Amino acid sequence: MDGFELICPAGTPAALRAAVDAGADAVYLGFRDETNARNFPGLNFTRDDVAEAVAYAHARKVEVFVAINTYPQAGNLAPWQRAVDDAARLKVDAVILADLGLLEYAARRHPDLRLHLSVQASAANAEAIRLYREAFGVRRVVLPRVLTVPEIARLNAEVDIETEVFVFGGLCPMAEGRCSLSSYATGLSPNKQGVCSPASHVRYEPRGTALATKLGDFTINVVGADEPAGYPTLCKGRFVAGDTPAYLFEEPTSLNAMDLLPELKAAGVHALKIEGRQRGKAYIGAVVGAYREALTAFAAGQPVPRLDLQAMVEGGTQTTGAYKRAWR
Amino acid sequence: MMPSLTLGPVLFNWPVDRWRDFYARIADEAPVDTVIVGEIVCFKRAPFFADAMGEVVERLTAAGKTVWFASPILVGSDRERAAMRDLVTGEGMTIEANDMGALALLAGRPHAVGPMINLYNEATLAWLAGRGAVAVSLPAELPAASVATLAKAGREHGVAVEVQVFGRAPLAISARCYHARAHGLHKDGCQFVCGNDPDGLAVTTMDGQPFLAVNGTQTMSHGCLCLAEELEALVAMGVDRFRLSPQAVDMVRVAQAFRALIDGERDGRDVAAELGGLIDAPLVNGFFHDTAGARHVASAGAALPA
Amino acid sequence: MRDPDTTPDDRARLFEMRLGRAGLGLVPRLGGRLSDALLDRLFQRLAARHPRAFATLRSMPEASLRIEPVDTPAALTLRVGPALSLRVTRRDDDAGPDAARPDAIIRGPYARLLDLLEGRIDGDALFFRRELAIEGDTALILALRNTLDGEEMDLMADAASIAGPLARVLPVLRRNAGPALDRLEAARRLLPPPLRRGLDRVEARLAGTRPASEV
Repeated sequence: MDGFELICPAGTPAALRAAVDAGADAVYLGFRDETNARNFPGLNFTRDDVAEAVAYAHARKVEVFVAINTYPQAGNLAPWQRAVDDAARLKVDAVILADLGLLEYAARRHPDLRLHLSVQASAANAEAIRLYREAFGVRRVVLPRVLTVPEIARLNAEVDIETEVFVFGGLCPMAEGRCSLSSYATGLSPNKQGVCSPASHVRYEPRGTALATKLGDFTINVVGADEPAGYPTLCKGRFVAGDTPAYLFEEPTSLNAMDLLPELKAAGVHALKIEGRQRGKAYIGAVVGAYREALTAFAAGQPVPRLDLQAMVEGGTQTTGAYKRAWR
Repeated sequence: MMPSLTLGPVLFNWPVDRWRDFYARIADEAPVDTVIVGEIVCFKRAPFFADAMGEVVERLTAAGKTVWFASPILVGSDRERAAMRDLVTGEGMTIEANDMGALALLAGRPHAVGPMINLYNEATLAWLAGRGAVAVSLPAELPAASVATLAKAGREHGVAVEVQVFGRAPLAISARCYHARAHGLHKDGCQFVCGNDPDGLAVTTMDGQPFLAVNGTQTMSHGCLCLAEELEALVAMGVDRFRLSPQAVDMVRVAQAFRALIDGERDGRDVAAELGGLIDAPLVNGFFHDTAGARHVASAGAALPA
Repeated sequence: MRDPDTTPDDRARLFEMRLGRAGLGLVPRLGGRLSDALLDRLFQRLAARHPRAFATLRSMPEASLRIEPVDTPAALTLRVGPALSLRVTRRDDDAGPDAARPDAIIRGPYARLLDLLEGRIDGDALFFRRELAIEGDTALILALRNTLDGEEMDLMADAASIAGPLARVLPVLRRNAGPALDRLEAARRLLPPPLRRGLDRVEARLAGTRPASEV
């Protein structure tokens, strides 16, 4: 394969059509409940929506992956198991899972269903990834955003599995699926409820020309009149550790690894993933289109065009994140 | 099974002398049954403790403590992997796995599953038990209902179930070092600034509310998790083991208080009041009560004798 | 105002946007019964075209959201839940006796709000640039944004289709938007302020809100 597979997000049927039309190779989405890590109000797909999405995408030779990547609640496994069963029945091309118990269920009940390991499983080393492959037949792993490109290369050299990496969008500075910050401030977490810093607990408080953001009982940022805003996400907030307030964990910034395509190819990466199931179809169309253009040029051995995605990114800045060691 | 007390690994970067003295006192005075040792937060800190490790383990073992070794939380680089592999494949040691890589290497051999492994439900517990887990320590963010279900599943599968009842809650791990970042440094040239903060670096909001504590690449709660008032309920659920996570306070006194609580000699409210005076942070229990972890929910006597 | 880089599409959009804004500004002046009737018709039309979104809005817990285009005298109040409704009020009478405090407010330039409603622009991007301000129940705003973004909406066409003569005129206007806009712009530049207001009224009439003068 000369290029990469381009994996694109969709939070709504309209976004799915935008992604397919803009050149996605596969679109990932979630059911409309707590079984997926973007369980946001008004977002996601009913079973009927998924059936239509599969029909639309397959007619255009595009695949559909369903993310069932939260951790099933103790004593209440049924919604997650049903999600896996329904995904299989709806003939999606893969399910993206994180929980060990659910992986075991899917592998046992649906041996023909293609399994991908979610970034929420945070499998960051060859030993861990090999375990998922051998125990459950996982075919692809979405790598956590904690690895450098050389680390990814060594991993690919050691384990016979497809790797998928994030190239654009919101960046978790923490190892994904191993973070209870949101839960500490709000009681709701990515692992349990599929939400991080949920909107239901966010309040904006005007303070003169400044704007304070509160998450639960805590002030996570105060931005002045001329400062760009970021997502009201805990780890993108500004805190005091020492003397002055600073973006302690991460600046309001977006990952954009478009400049690293040659390195990622050399590292053996199979698929590139765009983050943003919670973003609008305008974002999906613009970002997917830009990446398709870049990948087409890259596959043809031409220079990757400089594409302007500045308007789409958080805080108006972009980073290559953990892919470069200096981020640490 | 008689409920037992576990002392979790020291998560902070204490000077090695302090670290060695801490364990000497634990060996001699703390009524804990199991002591888990090992540097699990940062690979760069590990060499400081390597030389003293043998002595500490010997002392604890001689005092009748069961000693387990904890594997690192985040294992990505080659050197981290090699260290993890050396630890896990070592002879005659019981390992508490905190990463799926370590868990992979422990298959078929009795081992413990640490609180950094995502164990949220009975299906996962059953799978882990099938691979040789004999004890599991649950993630801090689990609510009471989940703990109860998992304790029951633990009984069914012969796996001891543990819950952290004291100490700052571990909330997140990163490849990036926030201690270094807060000091304008890079992880590679961190000058081990995390050594300045034996209980973590205080993080407050821009409105001056105490919020979190940074411990190198780890982020912890500012509030000190305390389930003294819930202990009786935990025992009734079938939880076997209670974890105390070391803070820079008199941990012997903490262990004694919880031992008296387990033995029915003191009540939870009384113990919570004592512990509240011991540490410079509010006691929190919100996770257990299915609300914000930073909150303290009054237990309304549900778990207490009349 | 004229940007040499704007495409004919952009300019048609600008033209429509102005018409819509002017029309919206007039609605509260129509008197309660008439404006309510007009909005109910628009709403029924939208419901027929976007059943998925409307089912979602009706299934939400009862709550109200005020949409405030800062450059018009009007504001919209959307009530979600089983009794889904849309009402236009004057922006300055939010302190009125029966005006209950909304659960959430979203504020921004009319053009941006319309873009957002139709999914032409990313709400998050607007928020990052601080072009939108939100207050109150953030989850409600997010739910509405996500629901509407899941549709392919053409609000101008829908609005026009219930607003009498514009239904027939809009397609023609869209084709001729460029020249029309040029003429309007040229005229506007030449006019003293009172006459510019007159031009606004012309736009308003074009937007199909003519009944104003007949009330």
